[in-house]
Amino acid sequence: MIALGALSSCATLPAYKTAIADNKVSVPVSLFAQSNFQLIQPKNSYYNIGLKKEPDGTYTALLLKCTHADNQLTATGNGYKCSLHGSAFDSEGQVTNGPAERPLKKYTTQIINDQVIIILS
Amino acid sequence: MKAKIFTLSFLSLTLSAAALAQTKTTTSEDSLNNNLSKSATTIGGYGNAFYQRNNVAGTSRLDLERFVLFTGHKFNDQISFFSELEVEDAKVTGGESGGEVSIEQAYLKFNLNANQYFVAGLFIPRIGILNENHLPNTFNGNERNYVETFIIPATWRELGVGFYGNLNNLPLSYSAGLMNGLNSNGFVHGTGLEDGRAEGRNATGNNLAITAALQLNINSFRAQISGYYGGTVGVSKRKADSLGLTSGIFGTPVAIGEGDIMYSNGGFSTRALATIVSIPDAANINRAFANNTPQTEYGAYLELAYDLLYPGHSLHAKQFIVFVRDENFDMNAQIPSNGVIDGTLKQNHIVAGFTYLPIKNVAIKADVRFIHTGPQNPELIVNPNPVALPYQVNNNLVDLGIGFSF
Repeated sequence: MIALGALSSCATLPAYKTAIADNKVSVPVSLFAQSNFQLIQPKNSYYNIGLKKEPDGTYTALLLKCTHADNQLTATGNGYKCSLHGSAFDSEGQVTNGPAERPLKKYTTQIINDQVIIILS
Repeated sequence: MKAKIFTLSFLSLTLSAAALAQTKTTTSEDSLNNNLSKSATTIGGYGNAFYQRNNVAGTSRLDLERFVLFTGHKFNDQISFFSELEVEDAKVTGGESGGEVSIEQAYLKFNLNANQYFVAGLFIPRIGILNENHLPNTFNGNERNYVETFIIPATWRELGVGFYGNLNNLPLSYSAGLMNGLNSNGFVHGTGLEDGRAEGRNATGNNLAITAALQLNINSFRAQISGYYGGTVGVSKRKADSLGLTSGIFGTPVAIGEGDIMYSNGGFSTRALATIVSIPDAANINRAFANNTPQTEYGAYLELAYDLLYPGHSLHAKQFIVFVRDENFDMNAQIPSNGVIDGTLKQNHIVAGFTYLPIKNVAIKADVRFIHTGPQNPELIVNPNPVALPYQVNNNLVDLGIGFSF
């Protein structure tokens, strides 16, 4: 367990880390000034959320958890890949390669006071 | 009295249960998984069957080549289990050759965070393309490519630990593994490293191997490099000395280097891979075991494919992929002084055909494999003509089959 903790603390990653409060994740809109994509790392979670700004100004939030065997997904720029069995998803969470058959979990988002609110329900 | 005791016990249990329910905490994972399936155990699988016509030999065969069941279980947010149970050639009968039942993977996965995890158990290291991603609906051709069958012996799994991670600021994944090594006593002329694998059964622990891989994923482009280095003599030092072999963790080593790329755009896709195997002490292995082990093996392939149904493509569209693949490999590119060269192990295969996917998880395949090899070495002919037919350097196989995964 000491080894696990040490390695975990070594992970200095630039994803936006935030806590979950009341089943919601809050992300500043300003993070999207330079890019239309931001990886969100909810604290104490083993899965990231991919948050994408759409051309119409809305946001798409996807849980990066493979719908085949629950493995973590890798963001590739135009989608997500799973190294476990090779499943792939597009930026909207739709399956582009099996064996996964179901799309990624998509969360509802709202914009309130310059914050993107991801509603985890 | 008994009724009162029963009533009090019931009330006590009810209150305890209510108290437990009230104190149950909601974790981040619980929040993320709202309205998702709560099942902790998952089942999946894959398989393929095909008809093959050997036009030179004038023979045909039909085979359920593989049927594999995945079983996974999530113990909690941090620890889960994955396994694959494989049956090759449909049936295994005692006392008869052919067929195989094996555990293809069985490991525990320990999540460190959203980007890093450990695995421990029987796992498949990240070497090449096919080793990790070998579902029949994800590659073209009924048979797997021969480079990742004979040079990289996919599906290659061993016992050990692996560490996997992704970077957030770069589209880069990395992995490293420590596992049992190969057994050079098991090497068989003409099958590369394949028969030196332990695959979870009584592997020797005196010799070990390390692997590492870096994988870049940018949009629809993937590039990977990977390597392997491990000892092949797992016997005691005393026995190794008597065989004239170097024992120890990395004694009498095998080294493998590999690089590959994959790219897709529109309906077009391509993949290419090159790999080399080095066994610098092959002469010592040959002297000890007389198995004609080579010093160097190599292999490479290039595949081009196009989905004829791509125009008007939608996410749930059918695919009709036509492809051509050029495979080149030599299982005795360099032999030691006490080895015997076998020209038939230098081969070129051109594979062309189609993969029709009515849905993404089901494939109907047809292909033809044109094989050209070097000449047979007369010194290796056990049954000369007319006891056996003369060796043909050119052959072709016609394959028609199905594949699926779920």
